Amino acid sequence: MSGDALMLARVQFALTAGTHFLFVALTLGLATLVALMQTRATVWGGAGGSGEAVHARMTRFWGQLYVVNYAVGIVTGLVMEFQFGLNWAGMSRTVGGVFGAPLALETIVAFFVESTFLGLWIFGWERLNRWVHLALIWVVTVTAYLSAYFVLVANGWLQRPVGYEMRDGRARLTDVGALLGNPPAVLAFGHVLFGGLLTAGFFVAGVSAFHLRRRAGETEFFRRSMRVGLVTVVASIVPVVVLGGAQFADLQPTKLGGDDADAAVAAFTARFGPDDYRPPGLSEAGEALMMSMWALMAVLAVAALVKLPFGRWLERGRVFHVVMIAAIPLPYVAMLAGWVFREVGRQPWMVYGVLKTRDAVSDTGAVAAAVSFAVFTVLFAVLVGVNVWLLARFARRGPGGVGLGVPAGAAPPSPALSPTL
Amino acid sequence: MEFLAVVMLAVFTAGYLVLAGGDVGVGMALPWLGRGQDERRLVIASFAPFFLGNEVWLVAAVGIVVGAFPGLEHRLLEDLSPVAVVLVVGWVVRDMGLWLRGRVDGAGWRGGCDGAVVAGSWALALGWASLLGSLVVSGAGGGEGMNAGSVLGLPLAALFVWHGVGFARWRLPEAMAARLRGVPARYGVSAVVLAAAPVAAGAGLPWSGAAAQGSGLALTAVAAVVLLPLLAVVQGLVWWTFRGRVQAPSYL
Repeated sequence: MSGDALMLARVQFALTAGTHFLFVALTLGLATLVALMQTRATVWGGAGGSGEAVHARMTRFWGQLYVVNYAVGIVTGLVMEFQFGLNWAGMSRTVGGVFGAPLALETIVAFFVESTFLGLWIFGWERLNRWVHLALIWVVTVTAYLSAYFVLVANGWLQRPVGYEMRDGRARLTDVGALLGNPPAVLAFGHVLFGGLLTAGFFVAGVSAFHLRRRAGETEFFRRSMRVGLVTVVASIVPVVVLGGAQFADLQPTKLGGDDADAAVAAFTARFGPDDYRPPGLSEAGEALMMSMWALMAVLAVAALVKLPFGRWLERGRVFHVVMIAAIPLPYVAMLAGWVFREVGRQPWMVYGVLKTRDAVSDTGAVAAAVSFAVFTVLFAVLVGVNVWLLARFARRGPGGVGLGVPAGAAPPSPALSPTL
Repeated sequence: MEFLAVVMLAVFTAGYLVLAGGDVGVGMALPWLGRGQDERRLVIASFAPFFLGNEVWLVAAVGIVVGAFPGLEHRLLEDLSPVAVVLVVGWVVRDMGLWLRGRVDGAGWRGGCDGAVVAGSWALALGWASLLGSLVVSGAGGGEGMNAGSVLGLPLAALFVWHGVGFARWRLPEAMAARLRGVPARYGVSAVVLAAAPVAAGAGLPWSGAAAQGSGLALTAVAAVVLLPLLAVVQGLVWWTFRGRVQAPSYL
């Protein structure tokens, strides 16, 4: 296996996983917020009153952005699942017996139900009883979390392999509890959960700020949405850093540096021969970037806390609105930087202290690796471009242009008829 | 445990081919089933509520391979990587065509998305045909990886069209379904054939050597067995909710 093909496979995985996660982060958080909005709409609907309409419309508007976003998350996730087998056959051969189990559980227990129920939610809007319809979005939300948990169990095992034994050069799972309760998995799950909420909070607040700044009507709709976004940001900003910090207790010694790192390098050299056992500097850069993004977001969260008690104040303040629009990318940058810290910091290991990355890559040869790389990279670039454009387009258009939940056979709302291509 | 996992893999793969085979086939035949963009939107609406719940059967089947038979992963994906890449790319292109079609109101956009759905569906079906062909020949001792079966299996893609037309006959509005009266497609018959295909293809695979050692195999197999009834009920709920002929376009 040539070094170039290894690098291609690594960059391809990084691009796939990075793209996947950008969309997954928003999916996780936004699903929760949409479920809460729909709960409010459904409960108020029974009592009647003017509040019913605005919450139902919020559910459809933010729900449509959620669905547009979900579609990319799903297809990038499919490619990621296949990439394990296509590019990293050495991993499935050596440690597949352990690493594969949480991935299998993810597909059967979580994703299967999530996707099927989402289909029912999207297409069953006018067909199903509204309480059943509400239950669907909650099932989608809970299974999305379950899905993230199982994927992080798999990833956590790469960071800190537990509950297994090596026999004849292959890993076998011996302790399911240790695997499922692995601290790098459980803590990272909490970290990602609040990171997703933070992403959705800034997204909802930023899009609302855009509309409030334009003063083009829908003030109540976006004031309420702004409040939802800011409350989410305020509620998530502390847990996300606490659960992130807690992971340092189980961090790999080579990632942390210092005396422990020297001892670990000596131990690895004695067992596996000389190699570069210290992670690339990119890892530390990721850590620093993630933390500075958090500091920026924390400042905004404090500002939000000051503004929140005064509802009408959210409608005003041009600087505040511009800052909130500009803040939409912050959690995304933090997320990606965090993954760089976590994954690059594990190098040169695929499974820490068990399997090196270069021994895990497939024998597909340089040409096949290059073709696969080119095909998927171009496909992803198009996908991400089109979907970011669509998200921005629907976000700008506001609640008047929503197609989700429109009764079957009804004409689409008027803004959708204006050709834009 | 190993036997149980093989049975579960067969059930999920057959489930995928029978359920998703219908919507893939409709996608392949989209230009013939619907005349003009409005009709095509109806054709897509005929399977729109199902396709999400259909493709997850394959995701779960891949999950079972990954969890219970990691030794097969390289045989299915690495050795057959050209086929696997076509299959995955086709899948992604098709899904994006479906998701994006209704999002922008423009004839060019809809035409492009229809093209993506048709091309992606064909790539997906041809990928499956080639994969099944390769496995049958390899099971009969014709060599691992790409072999004669990879090419000889390609006509199997017609099975998907046949199945798709059978699906379209009872989901499309009366007037459009009437055009298909002369086609000898029966959903039940093609479903049985498609369900048998993975059994035939998997018969010659070395399951014992490929199984996960330790608790990984049991965990995967038991999870699949325990959840299968629930997943079947959910699938039934989807079919019951969207029973009958489609009359109006959907969100897609």
